[in-house]
Amino acid sequence: MEKVERTAISKTKTKKAHKHMTIQRKEELQGFVFLTPWIIGFLFITAGPLLFSLYASFTNYDVTSQMEFIGFENYIKMFTQDSLFWTSLYNTLYYVAFSVPLTTAGAVLLAVLLNQGVPGMRFYRTIFYLPAVLSGVGVYLLWMQLLAPSTGLINTLLAFVGIQGPAWLFDPQWTKPALIFMKLWSLGGGMLLYLASLQGVPKTLYEAAEIDGANAFHRFRHITLPMITPVIFFDLVTSLIGGFQVFQEAYVMTESGNGGPANSLVFFNLHMWNNAFESFDMGYAMGMSWVLFVIILILTLINIKLAPRWVHYEGEDK
Amino acid sequence: MSTFADKRSSYFQSVKVRKRIMQIVVTTILILGSLLILSPVWWMLATSLKSMREIMQFPPTFIPEDFHFQNYVETWKSAPFTRYTLNTLFITACCVIGSVFSNSFVAYGFAKVKFRFKNVLFALVLATMMIPGFVTMIPQYIVFSKLGWLNTYLPLIVPSLFGSAFFIFLLRQFFLTIPNELIEAAKIDGANHFYIWWKIAVPLAKPAIATVAIFSFNGAWNDFLGPLLYVNDESLYSLQIGLQVFKGEISTQWNYLMAGSLMVLLPVIVLFFIFQRYFIEGMNITSGSKG
Amino acid sequence: MKKQSLKLFLVLVLMLSTVLTACSGSESASSETPKEAEGKVVVDFWTFWGSETRRPIIEKIIDDFNKSQEEIYVKHTYLPWGDIWTKELAAVAAGNPPDVVINDINTVKHRATKEQAENLSEYITDENFKDKFFPELWNTVLYEGDPYAVPFNTDTRVLFYNKDMFKEAGLDPNQPPETWEEVEQYAEKLTVKNGDRYERIGFYPLWNVGADLWMLNADGEAYLNKDNEVVIDGKANVEALKWINSFTEKYGRDTVNRFKAEFGNQQAHPFLAGKIAMFTDVATFYTQIRDYGGDMNVGVAKLPAREEGSGHTSWGGGFVAEVPKGSDTPEEAVEFIKYLTGKEAQKYWAVKNFDNVANIAGAEAAAKELEGLDKKVYELAVENMDNTVLTPIPLAAPEYLNTVNPIVEEVLLGTKSPEEALAEAQKKVEELVKQN
Repeated sequence: MEKVERTAISKTKTKKAHKHMTIQRKEELQGFVFLTPWIIGFLFITAGPLLFSLYASFTNYDVTSQMEFIGFENYIKMFTQDSLFWTSLYNTLYYVAFSVPLTTAGAVLLAVLLNQGVPGMRFYRTIFYLPAVLSGVGVYLLWMQLLAPSTGLINTLLAFVGIQGPAWLFDPQWTKPALIFMKLWSLGGGMLLYLASLQGVPKTLYEAAEIDGANAFHRFRHITLPMITPVIFFDLVTSLIGGFQVFQEAYVMTESGNGGPANSLVFFNLHMWNNAFESFDMGYAMGMSWVLFVIILILTLINIKLAPRWVHYEGEDK
Repeated sequence: MSTFADKRSSYFQSVKVRKRIMQIVVTTILILGSLLILSPVWWMLATSLKSMREIMQFPPTFIPEDFHFQNYVETWKSAPFTRYTLNTLFITACCVIGSVFSNSFVAYGFAKVKFRFKNVLFALVLATMMIPGFVTMIPQYIVFSKLGWLNTYLPLIVPSLFGSAFFIFLLRQFFLTIPNELIEAAKIDGANHFYIWWKIAVPLAKPAIATVAIFSFNGAWNDFLGPLLYVNDESLYSLQIGLQVFKGEISTQWNYLMAGSLMVLLPVIVLFFIFQRYFIEGMNITSGSKG
Repeated sequence: MKKQSLKLFLVLVLMLSTVLTACSGSESASSETPKEAEGKVVVDFWTFWGSETRRPIIEKIIDDFNKSQEEIYVKHTYLPWGDIWTKELAAVAAGNPPDVVINDINTVKHRATKEQAENLSEYITDENFKDKFFPELWNTVLYEGDPYAVPFNTDTRVLFYNKDMFKEAGLDPNQPPETWEEVEQYAEKLTVKNGDRYERIGFYPLWNVGADLWMLNADGEAYLNKDNEVVIDGKANVEALKWINSFTEKYGRDTVNRFKAEFGNQQAHPFLAGKIAMFTDVATFYTQIRDYGGDMNVGVAKLPAREEGSGHTSWGGGFVAEVPKGSDTPEEAVEFIKYLTGKEAQKYWAVKNFDNVANIAGAEAAAKELEGLDKKVYELAVENMDNTVLTPIPLAAPEYLNTVNPIVEEVLLGTKSPEEALAEAQKKVEELVKQN
């Protein structure tokens, strides 16, 4: 390692002179070799079903009996006749708008907390990661008990500090906050990402800052935060994508998956699922999925466009 | 740090005191947080030790009246769980190894090799995440069926050899933080990108690789829909399918379900505990080059 | 060093599991084609009965069938409840479905139109075959006059009540309420209030059932009548909602929500916990009371009538055995289905599971074989089949409940009047039917 570094310092200045066409071409060739696994997988496994679903969104495909081309009918129905489509879009946007920033900020703070030199840290980390491992129906049913209006743990704790908790899953105004709250419980996955990225922050920077008299907040703001921006960017993009696809919580935690009181938990994917597997209106569901795709794509592109303003890659050419 | 403390100036004394206070504050927060996190887990544990009769009572008891430890034995006997464990272990091991190699390989290409159409291709990688899985589920099933892969583990394992968008993106972000000077220097020493990937990039991104390993372990271990769709023979079932036997159309055997869930959880926790090492000892990439 | 140990660890895990799976793989290969199956037509049979209580029962039935057979061998595969049908859909789409699958009865017609199930009329030639089943069930499996499935089991909602609480409240434990009015009177007496808090609720109509049960109970039709005409805004439906809301008003919305929340996770049960004196559920729920209720003294009765003479209509569902489209052995599959829905197999299933079966002779034989309270409850359930109506989903608007339910819910939440809401739902569903 050290040898490599030393040569790095001595030879970087000359690197540009060495660049010839052949090297560039060699580089390009290597690049495509690195991508081969993904390209094979994309062509043979992913692309087919994706294109199929795009085509099928212009048909009345029902999986088993029909697949006739009907033009934009599915899309027209979606935007003009299906009021649940708009409800589901609203619910999903609401969920994403709150859950993504909150979980991102929460996970960063948790990771910083779990990166302190405190005895027993391995145990704490394991405990905080636990909820990320616990998944599935059982956990959601457990949360229904925790969120019970009068005997649930949450409202009991709130009553303890003098707040009368809401009816959560039974009050249309509080169903989505309840789910966002639940999401905050399982910050473990995001925490892990930031923990990994915090390992790349050089200790010497902190030490230097400390000598300069920077307090904990300043150190976090000016050293930690910039160093982990690449992962924050990753987390934002992926949790945005994941947030738009919220489904199972609503499916399990509402009576027979109907979407909760006053449709307040009809999320985009829940509506899509009901169309696909209850009414077998698969063409319509596929159309919905491409609308969702466009929405997520636009938001992701905005994200990517804004990234250079705040994401800081240590390894970037300056 | 100790070198600073050794200097007996009052300034560093106060730093030491501040550190101590900080530690106490952090520990207190962590303990309270842990209790909050663990209370649902305690509830699972308590349920797993209750009798069905007690579970149906109200208000629910926080500590079981009687501890039915035999629930765990009964749970294990309700389905061929030993077989399921081995099956799941096999699938998971293949997936973890596959994803660690393939994703770090592809991600390195995106992060540190220059070639045409890189951004377009990377956008395509991201785009594959944006379509919900269940609309492609049936076409996907038909593809694997045409390949003759049904009732084998191939549909579960092979995709991990080609990388997944999530992990590629994740590792790309980590590889991007490796200073380019390091890569260029190695190239000048005659190393090609494959060598750099394996000998420099991967070791430097160890915490990230460990994260991918943990995530993909978790994903494969908890995968339910995959094994359910592609495996027909009950002797090839996985643990998550096994756990479903406790859920019936009228009632659920909560005690067994919770006991089973906890037993299935245990290996993941143990593994996480072990893998954590790679977070603590993660190398300081940038400190080396800057310092 | 440390990287080495990581690699070593992974390699070890891989080797270990490869070896173990290799062993198990060879075993599974042998289990796939058991000796008895050699030279026979294999019928793949998918069910969701994998629990310790159900699996041995269905496998005994299969075993009996296999032993009686020279040509057919039935291979049973358990798939988890709910997901079994997702997989079936994928398998039908890919052209390699199982040969027999257990599926929901109320959606048979829908699957028939979608070509997911085989038309069985070709294989069921016996004119009298249909007479073996409760007529309401048989009618539900017909599409354009042809059967697309054969009914296997069913369920019917009945009224459960706690006899001890009846005595305590000065009511005759052998005289369950007969009408809505009586239910209200009884509930009043059975309710125990402690200050502001309800210790016990006499009766709450929506525990575990939907508002549509009471609309059905009121006059025999809920949202659609027998001819699939939309009758959502019917007078009886309005009355049913008012009746339900009268309970909500009496106990207070908070109390009702608390109840739903506390018992909504399907663990603690309000009846078993003594928090509710009367409630409705499928007759089979009796086994839960018997097995987990301790020494509770339970009574079972038909649902009350809206008023004397308006009928004790109840709602039912159930499961059918059907042959997915694309099965390569439909004839053999139906042969097995005939056995599965025959008197012997049905009686065995009914007695062992305390389940309502579709075969009349099987159900009656089971009632004879059971003893004590088991027998009484079972007899009542069989009798109740005459009052039981199924509501198969309408082909013109299969997803109509997604439209109706939220509107009805607003009535229950108190934000809309029953008349207003039902008129709105009526209009919307009529539009929906027109669209399709």
